[in-house]
Amino acid sequence: MDNYLLTIVTLLPLAGIPLLLVAGKSETTWKWIALIVSVATFLISLLLPINFNSAGGLQFQADAPWISAFNLGVRYHVGVDGLSIWLVLLTTFLVPLALISSWNSIHRRLREFLIAMLALETGMIGVFVAMDLFLFYIFWEVMLVPMYFLIGVWGGERRIYAAIKFVIYTMIGSLLMLAGIIALYYLNGQATGGRFTFDIPTITENVKTGALLISPTSQSLLFWAFALAFLIKVPLFPFHTWLPDAHVEAPTAGSVILAGVLLKMGTYGLMRFNLPLFPVAAHEWSVLICSLAVVGVIYGALVAMVQPDLKKLVAYSSVSHLGLVVLGIFSFTDQGMQGAIYQMLNHGVSTGALFLIVGMIYDRRHTRLISEFGGLARVMPAYSTLFLVVVLSSIALPLLNGFVGEFLILVGTFTSPVLPHARLFASLASIGMILSSVYMLWMYQRVILGEMKNAENERLADLNNREKLVLVPICLLILWMGVYPAVFLSRSEQMVRALRGRVTSAVERPANVTANNGIELR
Amino acid sequence: MEPNQIGINYQAILPETITGGVAIIIMMIDALSRRIERRVAGGLSLLGLAGAAVSVATMWGRNAEPSFRGMIVTDQFRLFFALIFLVVSFLIVLISIRWIQEEQLPTGEYFALLMFATTGMLFMSAANDLVMIFLGLEITSISTYVLCGYRRTDLRSNESAMKYFILGSFSTAFLLYGMAFVYGASFQAGARPAATTNLQLLKERISSGALFSPEMLFAGAAMMIVGFGFKVATAPFHVWSPDVYEGAPTPVTAFLSTGSKAAAFAAFCRVFILTLAAAPIAESALMHSIHSVWVNALQVMAILTMTLGNLVAIVQGNIKRMLAYSSIAHAGYALVGMVASDWKAVAFYLLSYVVINIGAFAIIEVFAQRGDKRTEISDYAGIGFQSLGLATALSLFLLSLAGIPLTAGFMAKLIVFKSAWGSGFHVLVVIAVINSAISWYYYLRVIVAMFFADQQPEFKAPTLNRSFAAALVLTIIATLYLGILPGRVLDTLDRATDQISRARK
Repeated sequence: MDNYLLTIVTLLPLAGIPLLLVAGKSETTWKWIALIVSVATFLISLLLPINFNSAGGLQFQADAPWISAFNLGVRYHVGVDGLSIWLVLLTTFLVPLALISSWNSIHRRLREFLIAMLALETGMIGVFVAMDLFLFYIFWEVMLVPMYFLIGVWGGERRIYAAIKFVIYTMIGSLLMLAGIIALYYLNGQATGGRFTFDIPTITENVKTGALLISPTSQSLLFWAFALAFLIKVPLFPFHTWLPDAHVEAPTAGSVILAGVLLKMGTYGLMRFNLPLFPVAAHEWSVLICSLAVVGVIYGALVAMVQPDLKKLVAYSSVSHLGLVVLGIFSFTDQGMQGAIYQMLNHGVSTGALFLIVGMIYDRRHTRLISEFGGLARVMPAYSTLFLVVVLSSIALPLLNGFVGEFLILVGTFTSPVLPHARLFASLASIGMILSSVYMLWMYQRVILGEMKNAENERLADLNNREKLVLVPICLLILWMGVYPAVFLSRSEQMVRALRGRVTSAVERPANVTANNGIELR
Repeated sequence: MEPNQIGINYQAILPETITGGVAIIIMMIDALSRRIERRVAGGLSLLGLAGAAVSVATMWGRNAEPSFRGMIVTDQFRLFFALIFLVVSFLIVLISIRWIQEEQLPTGEYFALLMFATTGMLFMSAANDLVMIFLGLEITSISTYVLCGYRRTDLRSNESAMKYFILGSFSTAFLLYGMAFVYGASFQAGARPAATTNLQLLKERISSGALFSPEMLFAGAAMMIVGFGFKVATAPFHVWSPDVYEGAPTPVTAFLSTGSKAAAFAAFCRVFILTLAAAPIAESALMHSIHSVWVNALQVMAILTMTLGNLVAIVQGNIKRMLAYSSIAHAGYALVGMVASDWKAVAFYLLSYVVINIGAFAIIEVFAQRGDKRTEISDYAGIGFQSLGLATALSLFLLSLAGIPLTAGFMAKLIVFKSAWGSGFHVLVVIAVINSAISWYYYLRVIVAMFFADQQPEFKAPTLNRSFAAALVLTIIATLYLGILPGRVLDTLDRATDQISRARK
């Protein structure tokens, strides 16, 4: 069972597609099929953390040869470890919520919409569980297609521009990663005397044991081939410009998935590939990347502050928050990386919720301009309360989830022994955090508090049960993750420690990797 | 000379005999009876192609000696390419049966010409002699010249045929002149024969350094690059292809961009990879430098072809023209495999490419309606949800051309890039990869038009017949099969032998 569990979780959403195709003409039936399939996926995926052994490394593995001709050595290898387990859960958790939230807001091509959502879910889970570079790349790319259609077909006014921009940005990064993957495959094959493989654990192990020793120059090249794909996805300043467009134009469900899961693939990739495979290069470039991250934190916050559009504001807040995650990853400390992983989950939950909340008000008023609102607290009390919880989570109020992640990242960065200028970075990043409470609270004040200026808002209905069903679990989760983070942190702890150990030991033994004895790209 | 000394072996040319025979039979029926039924002509062609495929398959493991005084070779290189051509013609026949009825064009000549072209293509991969390659090339070219102008009353079709004919003859002259130079270069006083066009002998003479003039070989090879470069439509010899592709009837365009291109690649590989790449074995400094010169030339051509094809495709408003430029770009990717001197990568690339491209052209053909009326990308606006099945299939093919994983297009690119990277052409691979990213833009444009734009009220979803549906299903299955489970095909190709590896055994 354990061997098949991940495959089932990955492919179950896909199994909903044929069901949808034969399900007749009733829209309600379609919606229920998609919902039931995604909820079932979530329930089954709960088995993963329950049966997860916190000290066990890579688990729930399935491994079978796939393409062996031409020396390719491609395998179907899936597994989860402390890094990916919660990201899988985050995905399976958010998709049903996104589906419920768009229960009544998709007015055309509903069946195709649901198919795209389910295909997207499979793609996203696949990215997190793939343990073969080839397989990873397949999921990474294939997932683009449903997202592209989600933005392009069900998006807003400028959806075509946004959809194309999204794909081209991602494509440029990921095709360079493909070149990097081929290069790494050859380097590993050469270093191990012709045992060509795309297997991620094997290559990572070879790097760790020194069987695959890559010269610093080549490491830098490969580092950037991978990093560019991931940094565009994150998105790190200055690669972020696709994000506001994509977010604003995407339908609510698309935005939730985009912010909640897709952006995490970037940070996930950095931790899965860049740090363990090219530790020396990661350290070498950490100052540049951390600088960009800090710029992103502050820039994102400043731009978010002046946005008139709620969705754009949340989109720019993502740029700011994800910058912080990148900073945590490149602090090379236990706390920093733990915080980064935790903050990925937090951001997925809180920002996902923010997009849902914006979507709910948009469904009622068909506008997202902050200036159109004000004083909603009187007519929509439940909405305002839940909104407040999410806002506070996003600005990292203690006892809510955001605080744990941001605190760990800042502590980790501040005390980092390997990252140069660590204290400066940590201090600058905390400025960004202060700014984040400014724009969030200010936005909340303008939308919810004060006097009702716009007569159109007088008759707005408060949340219905369906919407409460979406937001209440999220708020409970926010509270749980803030009060008792140990459940989450304990499962990633061992993995983070091992990862940090690899980077610091590679950095502390620079004599080991000199230009002379590392393998060079030729 | 005794017949058996010449090495007559009819089995070695059985596939060509079948396709050529079927072509003649169709012409006879057409001439003798008043009018040949399209189903009869199409059915005969399909039978002939299937028969040829069977005879190719039976030859697979046999390792026959070269026959007809070394004119015809039966290595797995030939057979694999032969299968590609047969697949191409089979699919083209399937989509043509519907098309020819819709257009009300004469049936007999069309299928006969198609079968003649196929025969020529088969000879091109079977040839082991420059003269034989030339013959095959001419049989194919002349048939396709006529096919391009098949819609006689249409000016664009006439323009296409004339352009193709004039420029094609011009390039053939280059090829022929190059061959003559190579022939001259192989002169060896006192040897029998004194000079040769036989590739096997050429290779031996090049390896042993017993050449009359290496410089002449160099000049000949350069001119042959021009000739082949024209036939596969690589920059800077590509200028004819957009006009010809746009004007020719769509099934013919599909045939030109897949079949005759693949055949030219087969001959190109045979001459350059299997014959001239043997040159460095000679360890002669001059030979080595000649070899590296042509590899570099091909490298430059590959870069030019990919970049130009992709950049110009972006600004095209006509979908046939866009796919013409896209097929120029794809010739560039295949050239990347040639630069790596890996014919297996090229063969897999072409196999994947022909399947996807024919699928795409087939759908464009039905959307175009009678007389190729709707071929502007703007004509595709909003038809996605009105004709969901066809539009989804076209999206699959376009994404596959762009190289989305799980489809043939991705595997093909991966194999070629991997091969080139392994041979040390890192910069070339990076340029190819950047080009693939660019190509996404124009492939997506069609999808954008189909699905994201507003619907057109006057559009009527086309009706399909059975043979067309069969072609579509086959191409879709092949696209996915080669993308998801390429193991068997790759294994077969991996173990396939060519004349060099056979000679070594």
